Amino acid sequence: MDVEGEPLDRRLSRADMLRLAALAAGAGVVAGPAAAADAAIARLTKETGRLQVMDWAGYGNDGGQSMFAAYVKKYPNNKPQFASPMTNETNAYGRIRAGAHPDLFRPYVGWVKFFAQSGLVQPWNPKLIRNFEHLNPFMVKAGQYRGKQYGIPDDWGFDAILYRKDKVHPKSNSWGLLFDERYKGKIAWFDDLEMITIAGLYLKAKNPWNQTSSELKRSVNFLKSKKHVARFNWSSETDLWQAFGSGEVWIAYAWPNDWVQMKKKLPVVYMHPKEKPIAWVGMFMLLKNSPRPHLAHAYVDAWSSARSGKWLEDNYGYGHANVEAKPSSSQLLKALQLANPKAVTLPNAYLDRDIPQRSTYANLWEEVKRA
Amino acid sequence: MDVALSRNGRRIMRVFFALVIVFLYAPIVILVIFSFNKGSVPTFPLTGFTLHWYHEFLTNSDMQAALKTSAIVAAISSVIAVSLGILASIGLRRSRFRGRGVVTTLVLVPLVVPLVVLGISLLLLFHALGIQLSILTIAIGHVVISLPYTVLILLPRLEQIDVSLAEAAYDLGAGPFTTFRRVTLPLILPAVVSAFLVAFTTSFDEYAVASFLAGPQQTFPLFLYSALRFPSQLPQVIAVAVVVISLTILVIAAAEILRRRVEAPLEAA
Amino acid sequence: MTQAAAAPSRRRRRLKLAMPALLGLPVSWLVVFLVAPAVIVALYSVNELSLFPGPHSFALGGWYRLFHGGFMSLFWKSAKMSLIVSALVVAAAYPLAYFLALSGTRRKYVLLLLLIAPFLTSYLLRVLAWKVILSDGGVINTFLVWLHLEAHGHSLSFLLYSRFAVMLVLGYVWLPFVALPIFVTLETLDFRLLEAASDLYASRLQAFLRVTLPLSLPGVVAAFLFVFIPTVGEFVTPSLVGGQAGYMYGNQIVDLFATGFPDWETGAALALFLIGVIAVLTIVFVRFLRIGEARAA
Repeated sequence: MDVEGEPLDRRLSRADMLRLAALAAGAGVVAGPAAAADAAIARLTKETGRLQVMDWAGYGNDGGQSMFAAYVKKYPNNKPQFASPMTNETNAYGRIRAGAHPDLFRPYVGWVKFFAQSGLVQPWNPKLIRNFEHLNPFMVKAGQYRGKQYGIPDDWGFDAILYRKDKVHPKSNSWGLLFDERYKGKIAWFDDLEMITIAGLYLKAKNPWNQTSSELKRSVNFLKSKKHVARFNWSSETDLWQAFGSGEVWIAYAWPNDWVQMKKKLPVVYMHPKEKPIAWVGMFMLLKNSPRPHLAHAYVDAWSSARSGKWLEDNYGYGHANVEAKPSSSQLLKALQLANPKAVTLPNAYLDRDIPQRSTYANLWEEVKRA
Repeated sequence: MDVALSRNGRRIMRVFFALVIVFLYAPIVILVIFSFNKGSVPTFPLTGFTLHWYHEFLTNSDMQAALKTSAIVAAISSVIAVSLGILASIGLRRSRFRGRGVVTTLVLVPLVVPLVVLGISLLLLFHALGIQLSILTIAIGHVVISLPYTVLILLPRLEQIDVSLAEAAYDLGAGPFTTFRRVTLPLILPAVVSAFLVAFTTSFDEYAVASFLAGPQQTFPLFLYSALRFPSQLPQVIAVAVVVISLTILVIAAAEILRRRVEAPLEAA
Repeated sequence: MTQAAAAPSRRRRRLKLAMPALLGLPVSWLVVFLVAPAVIVALYSVNELSLFPGPHSFALGGWYRLFHGGFMSLFWKSAKMSLIVSALVVAAAYPLAYFLALSGTRRKYVLLLLLIAPFLTSYLLRVLAWKVILSDGGVINTFLVWLHLEAHGHSLSFLLYSRFAVMLVLGYVWLPFVALPIFVTLETLDFRLLEAASDLYASRLQAFLRVTLPLSLPGVVAAFLFVFIPTVGEFVTPSLVGGQAGYMYGNQIVDLFATGFPDWETGAALALFLIGVIAVLTIVFVRFLRIGEARAA
């Protein structure tokens, strides 16, 4: 890895680099080097101010404190400050382009290439993240672009279908349930261009992430023709849970956390469609002009620990990239295949991937919404 | 004979008025009820009484920070808006100059600009100038929104007071500033207070423009909106809602009583 | 002013000269933060300024998309929704204002305050409350089930996530505010005119149609505009209670700028188009009012 050219590394003096390299080489020796690494980092850290984080709802002080508790303990003067939550990656992209300047944010795996190419982010230095070595290598790989670690994997899960088994009797386990006329008005879609990918998946486009123009036309027309079956496109889990909880919708595009929450009260099934669910991995990304790169590394390190991972699995029902994290409930472990290191890829699911014609997809999704 | 309403008409109107009041307050009552509800999802049936949510928000530092930010933004923007409003009102009242119509229109135009357009146009301005979004950028937007309201409140009051009073003071050797401070300001004080209150509450509750112009610090409406997006926060938000709404209604009532106390002797004189 | 002109003194002249200068600050504030931004929006809409770095030049793509990308039908849908809301709200507010202003109720200001107070409480929270009322497990549906007027599980689903929901909530939000300008015009109405009409044996209805209504028309028109203008560009309410069916023009603008994939060029064109429509409407209405006033005089 070409470390010399990175702005982050330019801040480290040669001596510090040597020390860190020695520590990295000596990994396995436990307490001593770890403390030394901390000291090195602490000494290097002349960064001031609160760490600026842009994250999804539920991962800031609104419930996600356990994920970064270790960071707050260590850097009480640089507590994270959360921008208003991202609603999806396009939202984060627009805001950063428009002048928002968080130190780090957390898009999902399909956007790694997009952001890496955008010139807005810089690669991480994995050597500064102690828990990095425990992260699932497959997911670590997915966070790389041109050999550099632009994304640090953390949570993972699926996009699939949640439905009420007392109300809904699917003809088959298929994405088609989101478009089923029998349940008109009882279905919720997701407010994201991903719906175009899902339509492509359902209509058997050759590559749903890179549909040809005729395939795209077919997907968009299909979504327009089925729009009336969907009550709303959810963009926040509040909308979804409220609507599901009150019986307004019985079928929804959903994440594992939604299943975990809804099954507390309702007979629900989290269905993996035969066309395969889409799997995602959250990727922390570091903004290019971040004035607090070391603090950002420390924050991500806190997120990456097995302890944080266990909390995430227990409370949100998402998997965690740290392979040593295990949930308390074996039922959860099994249902979400948390022990399967390749759960996010074939033959189990399609790992979400880059969409080369991203802005076309986005425009088409807007077109569906205003139709 | 009552020329406006027959007796039956009056009865019907009373019923209609009562129904509208019910319609207007029912949602607020619903919020109050759910703020004491044990369940975390606001759906019927109710699941028991609790004060837990009130306790939660008292310890929620993010929410307190957002309330504080909103108070600061509202204070800055309402002070600027009222000051500019006073200048504009005096300027518009006292002068007959060419272009007065244009200026009046300009001052009132923000009333008819949709907030979404105002928000994005300021965002584009700050982006083009390379200005970082912050508390100040929100306050700037809020001044533009409240300025016409302050003028609409101040100008009629200024027109009511006798110009000769100010002129007398002036003739007696008072400078323009002294005249303003000793004569005009006391006379328009009630209007200044209500202009300030209107500007303050407008800013405190404003979401649309703030959503475009906020930097890292969230205002209370922004916090509310994002909390509405995450279910575990909802009951606390409802509890705060009840507190904020009660406070607002109290402040409005107090201001109204105060205004009448102050204006009554003025009008009698 | 006439007095001042009649007896000019050096001091007074200075006083007079000082006044337009007072306008300097508020006017420059508005020029910098209202007029200049509008110009900048225009520059973005023709790609003279751009969100994206790199070379860009004059282009009318945004405007072309505005008229050929399905945005116009969305605009019509929003305009229709907000016309209906404005008309209904004004129709509901008029009798309220009439009752308060003309019935001689002693407590009219207290009642007026009661009417307006909800307007000054948090907008978002009132919308939230409506969500609780309208949802399938909400107040209305549970009440109907309780009355055995509807079977369990067959709730009225048009109540939420629909155009109906958007219009209801918008009407709710603006009703108190609209009653105010109508009340003000009715209150300043010369009561003797009504008495004269009554003396001339006009019925109450005739008096209302010939005297009260025409004289209060400016207030009605102002009230109508007060609702129409903010609602036609509304995005918060539809995003909370509108669902698929209630998506409005304002939501599209927000999606283009803030929540969706950024397309500031098209978004700027959409915003300018909205301002244009509102400007034309306002000018037409103001003209119409002037003619009305001239006739009345």
